[in-house]
Amino acid sequence: MLALLDAWLLAPFEYGFMRRAVVAGLALSLAAPPLGVFLMLRGMSLIGDAMAHAILPGVALGFLMAGFSLPMMSLGGVLSGLLIAVLAGSVSQMTGHREDSAMASFFLISLAAGVMLVSLGGSSVDLTHVLFGSILAVNGTALILIAGIASLIVVALAVIFRALVVECLDPLFLRGQGVHGSLVHGVFLGLVVLNLTAGFQTLGTLMAVGLMMLPATTARFWSQRLEGLIGIAVVLAMIASTGGLLLSYHFSLPSGPAIILLAGLAYVLSALFGRHHSLTARLRRRAAPLAATDSP
Amino acid sequence: MTRLQLEDLQLARGGQTVLEHLNGRFMDGAITALIGANGAGKSTLIQAMMGMLRPVAGKVHCEVPKERRAWLPQQLALDLTFPMSVEELIMTGSWPSHGAFTGYCAAHYRRGRDIMARLGISHLAHRPLGELSGGQRQRALLGRTLMQEAKLLLLDEPFANVDAETVDVLMNVLREMADNGATLIVVLHDMEQLSRLADDVLILSGGHGRWASPEALLERYAGQPPKAPRLPLTFPDTFHAGTA
Repeated sequence: MLALLDAWLLAPFEYGFMRRAVVAGLALSLAAPPLGVFLMLRGMSLIGDAMAHAILPGVALGFLMAGFSLPMMSLGGVLSGLLIAVLAGSVSQMTGHREDSAMASFFLISLAAGVMLVSLGGSSVDLTHVLFGSILAVNGTALILIAGIASLIVVALAVIFRALVVECLDPLFLRGQGVHGSLVHGVFLGLVVLNLTAGFQTLGTLMAVGLMMLPATTARFWSQRLEGLIGIAVVLAMIASTGGLLLSYHFSLPSGPAIILLAGLAYVLSALFGRHHSLTARLRRRAAPLAATDSP
Repeated sequence: MTRLQLEDLQLARGGQTVLEHLNGRFMDGAITALIGANGAGKSTLIQAMMGMLRPVAGKVHCEVPKERRAWLPQQLALDLTFPMSVEELIMTGSWPSHGAFTGYCAAHYRRGRDIMARLGISHLAHRPLGELSGGQRQRALLGRTLMQEAKLLLLDEPFANVDAETVDVLMNVLREMADNGATLIVVLHDMEQLSRLADDVLILSGGHGRWASPEALLERYAGQPPKAPRLPLTFPDTFHAGTA
């Protein structure tokens, strides 16, 4: 039995690439889910997707200029992500267009531009790599970059935490206190972009969003408190990224999709059996007597 | 003494003048009722007092620092689906002293508990905001302004959709705040509530403001004998608190 567990859970990590991959996954699992929780609570769950497309042209440009260099591609990604976010924000302010439709327009443009750029300069293999990542190819430099960005996000989130909470809850109150909500919002969106650039190497630009949003939306079925949501989402992301890696190792599956599908499985199960808002919770609630809901 | 004064104030919304030649001073420790029809400019005036709307002409002299001004609008910007408890909401009121970074200390938590006890919501401390009734929510929000030690409090129809018992609690707390020197401005539509609460009345109509005493107003509009502004706050059970 022990030998089986060892063969399944520990032996794969005797390889350097698996060790680096799991550390990268755990680092991302610390940084991404809290951002996802706030995106979800702000009703911006799809913004992550939009931003993921927005970093693509920058990643592609970095790739064209410096080849497969993670620092250059990340830098390009951050810059184009921030640029698109600012552009979408200012277009909606200047034209009275709703921000989500401006965002949608810009991310479609950037997706096309990104794919065009990669195709011009590279092969379809490169394109697949940028779009879907490859956690098993994380080298030492990439790992340091990913861990560095993840740490930065965790620290920055801790610094703006209270402002972010108050801004989500009651923007008017924050404004009354002389704090510009748009500043908090901007810093937060910046962190989202940073996180996606850290994630694209391992999961690809498109699936990096998965590790951010899926654990957060899953946690909603298990907790009604902010700390609970964040804690549960982080643990879920860690389980999904480690479990997904092991699955991909043992069954020769692509690592990114394996991780996200595992997180997706958790979501589906939670939607069915979670404590709050889930299907079974609704059925239970319907049957519960009145007095039970009144207890403090 | 007055910390809030209007000087020939002109306010516009979307290029359209809403109020002009508005003058007057709001006394410290007084509760002023702000009345007027829909669209008379009550919310516009409140925004100007909060410093969120720049006057076209004239001035709002306000000596109360921004972080000690509180505004409870009728249309809440509050996101009730946000996972936050009553206690946590009240604690966010400590922003003026704690800002965005300092942790809450034990003394502040104690203060938070005292405030909840005063408002009769101690048993709701850990209840999520989304599960509160209208009255409970209003008590919690007033709790936040107490935590904030608001010196200028602007309330937009605070008693709308609120049960009679909550009206009594809120009125008591508002009067206490005024007695401690805060300046309160309350948008009201209900004459009964006005007679119980207001020390002074500012009527907005036709783009202008007129000051009146509650007694004069009540005599004129309700045809009732004038009532002292500070009434005992006991009413028979049949008292109807709704504003409808």
